Amino acid sequence: MGTIDISYENLLIGLLMMGIPMFYLWKFKTGLVKSTLIAVLRMLVQLFLIGVYLKYLFFLNHPLINFLWVFIMIIVASETALVRTRLQRKILLIPISIGFFISVVLIGTYFLGLVLQLNNIFNAQYFIPIFGILMGNMLSVNVIGLNTFYSGLQREQQEYYYLLGNGATRQEAQAPFIRQALIKAFSPCIANMAVMGLVALPGTMIGQILGGSSPNVAIKYQMMIVVITFTASMLSIMITISIASRRSFDKFGRLIRVFKEGKKNGR
Amino acid sequence: MLKIEDACIAYGEQELFTGLCVHIKRGEMVCISGESGSGKTSLLNAVMGFVSLTSGSITIDDLLLCEENIDQIRRKIAWIPQELALPCEWVSEMVKLPFELKANKGIHFSKKKLFEVFKELNLEEELFTKRVSEISGGQRQRIMIAVAALLEKPLLIIDEPTSALDAGSVERVLNFFNILSQKGMTILAVSHDRAFKLGCDNVIYL
Repeated sequence: MGTIDISYENLLIGLLMMGIPMFYLWKFKTGLVKSTLIAVLRMLVQLFLIGVYLKYLFFLNHPLINFLWVFIMIIVASETALVRTRLQRKILLIPISIGFFISVVLIGTYFLGLVLQLNNIFNAQYFIPIFGILMGNMLSVNVIGLNTFYSGLQREQQEYYYLLGNGATRQEAQAPFIRQALIKAFSPCIANMAVMGLVALPGTMIGQILGGSSPNVAIKYQMMIVVITFTASMLSIMITISIASRRSFDKFGRLIRVFKEGKKNGR
Repeated sequence: MLKIEDACIAYGEQELFTGLCVHIKRGEMVCISGESGSGKTSLLNAVMGFVSLTSGSITIDDLLLCEENIDQIRRKIAWIPQELALPCEWVSEMVKLPFELKANKGIHFSKKKLFEVFKELNLEEELFTKRVSEISGGQRQRIMIAVAALLEKPLLIIDEPTSALDAGSVERVLNFFNILSQKGMTILAVSHDRAFKLGCDNVIYL
């Protein structure tokens, strides 16, 4: 059972549906019409480009090229995280990149090697989508987590300095802010996990079923995808914060300026 | 206990004070006073390493305040900032917070001891089980003083301890501080309160 291809004409017919949300966005003067149009265009261009380069990655199916792709993705994801959080590149670029790299390699190879027991874990058919989905989830969690952590430290300086002034170690004084970052970053993931399959059918499962897999196989993959994305996201944010903490506080434990100019209280 | 030698704090071009020398003995109660912006809170922050001196030095218990000693110095301090608002829902959480730190692991938190101090500061025991939003600023201030006292640190640093208190409560806090200083606790406070200043061993004007 294969997947039915969508012709370009039919793709265009499908895209016509965007007219409905665009109409309401225009009618209620939301100011989102232009940004939605740009977003749709960007999505189309980006996905066509991904289609092209994935075709070559799958065709070449070479471990080195696949790993090079991971490196490029890590750089792109780190840059994206910096742009979205408006954190200083010189402080956060290395911690975020290391956090992404260690997490994606550890969790990705664990899943491919120990769970799927692939003979060749660099097989593009598995390597690319698994590492790709891990990167995407880690990026979202890091953006929310880092923003919450540093905005909290800036906004609630009194609590941080109260703890430090009463003898707390740097880790103890930062702990309430790490707690907040984890709550904010992981609450949506936990909520999604709790209703998975009830409210909506998850993406990986749909993809596999459309691709011809049996629902029995699809649910197992979905379970594993949830577990590996959750674990990799947690690992990456913890590694990032742990390395970033050494660079974002001075020797007296004072927070140095981490946000770029114009960013106040994380807003 | 605390030696401040030839200290100067400046933010850019603006010099808050310069050439400040302060020697505070163990068990002494000292008040820092002065106009707004004269550097009172900055001086307290400098003693805890939160603000750097532009020049001069600070020594606490024969330890020079520097990167190497800062953690050791902070373990000797109990600190209450001005209008402290911790993001705790319950008074009990707020009270227990400093006792959960590794530095204070040796100090056993006991409700009995806390309530004894509460009594001295004219606080009702029921406050312990209330929400932070249900207590007044003055009650919160005295609760934090009680907590700081239970930490039994050699140095208590406190910013405006009586700003939300009536005259009677100021008197009680002063008496309480006197008992603490007699037990050997050194108290360094910033205050505008005339009665509080009069009750201290020394007043430093910035």
